[in-house]
Amino acid sequence: MTRPHIEPFVELNEDFKPFKIPGFVGANFKVLSLDTDNGACTLKVRLDGGFKRKPGISYSDQEIFVLEGGMTIDGQYVCEGHYIFLPAGMAMGAIDVPQGCEALFMFNDGEPTFEESDTHHPLTLKEGYVSLNSYEDAPWSGGSIVSPSVATGCMIKLLHFDPMTEAMTFLYCMTPQFMQDNISYHDCAEESYHIWGSSWMLQFGDLPTGGYFWRPPYINHGSFRSKLGCIAIGRTDSKLHNYFHFNPWTNPDENQSRAAAFLYRQRPQMFRWVNAGGHNHPHGPQGQAEYVAPTAPDDFENPDYVDDAQVKMLGEQRYTFREMDEYHDCYGMKDAHAEAHANGHAHSHGGDDDHSH
Amino acid sequence: MSKRVQDEKPPMLPEAEAWHQEEIQAQNVRYRGIVEEIDALEPEREKWIEEFLSIIQTKGFNMTGDTRRKIGKQEIAEKPDRPDAMRVIW
Repeated sequence: MTRPHIEPFVELNEDFKPFKIPGFVGANFKVLSLDTDNGACTLKVRLDGGFKRKPGISYSDQEIFVLEGGMTIDGQYVCEGHYIFLPAGMAMGAIDVPQGCEALFMFNDGEPTFEESDTHHPLTLKEGYVSLNSYEDAPWSGGSIVSPSVATGCMIKLLHFDPMTEAMTFLYCMTPQFMQDNISYHDCAEESYHIWGSSWMLQFGDLPTGGYFWRPPYINHGSFRSKLGCIAIGRTDSKLHNYFHFNPWTNPDENQSRAAAFLYRQRPQMFRWVNAGGHNHPHGPQGQAEYVAPTAPDDFENPDYVDDAQVKMLGEQRYTFREMDEYHDCYGMKDAHAEAHANGHAHSHGGDDDHSH
Repeated sequence: MSKRVQDEKPPMLPEAEAWHQEEIQAQNVRYRGIVEEIDALEPEREKWIEEFLSIIQTKGFNMTGDTRRKIGKQEIAEKPDRPDAMRVIW
């Protein structure tokens, strides 16, 4: 399991808890979402006035977004709206909090880690470092960075873009009376924290200030409204494509199959190659095909891309959509369906005779 | 094969392991709470779906950007007859 579908979660109603992890003692946190395998997480963190921490590194890529107050990092004062992408291994300067600060801390590869150091780890990708005040240092752009695109009135500021995975971190806003009448899903997980204001979605109702979601791939969301507008920080863990449709009752398996059909229709050679290339069909004693992760194809431009932490992490993820069925008592979602789809997909072996191993 | 910083991460500290386990449990409780809250919205969601289906047949469905297409009645799917037809949290 990765992170479950957390939507909506209004964190303002929750209490902070004190950190007991070395390197974070003295800080307080709320978990917004947590990877149950590797500890990667999104946290709201409160640093009280007087909090100090020496320089140090993390073994995870880290993102920080200041919500309120401010802190000095390595002598530079950062206040609300400031965004930092800190590559794993990059030494973060000493932190000094004069009067208190609340911020989102995102650890992308594993649990919060901190090791005192005032030098970078020799393997750190320093070029990935980003630091800017997103409120002041970047202009708004229209939301049409992808096609199909969102309706006018949803604007974005791109804060971080991973060229390997096309994962993004961005500020977005909806203008008052924003409306978009379609249902959407993506191949990527999507995450959002409402800094201010409220938006509405067909499936989940209103998400107010302090509202949060982590939404795994292929889950329907929309149509969309915002009566008075909102501003939020958003993230995706890989490439965002908008699969728009108007069937309110599809489930993630159907959505994923439709997305695969897009690939089949629009990139048929790629679809065929991915299906056949390096993918054997060993049959277990029950006649069920065992899941075999496809071999990562060679990329002459990026020969070591398989070692990228984000690429590895995404390659190891496997969403089944049935993991949390035991919490859905009223649907009678018991084991019959989950057992019948133990491999997470329905499949036929009609083509088994026409391929070789 | 090139190494990354993440490959040299030491094993999870006992304090981090304890934190991880505790917060997984808290997240499961939170998830159940979300499911209950969202399931309780089902009667309203039925109305919202009805409104949505009406809008896309009159004003149109946003295909991309502000470009809308009116959806014909014959294109509207029927609600499937399965217990999780209204499930929105996965």
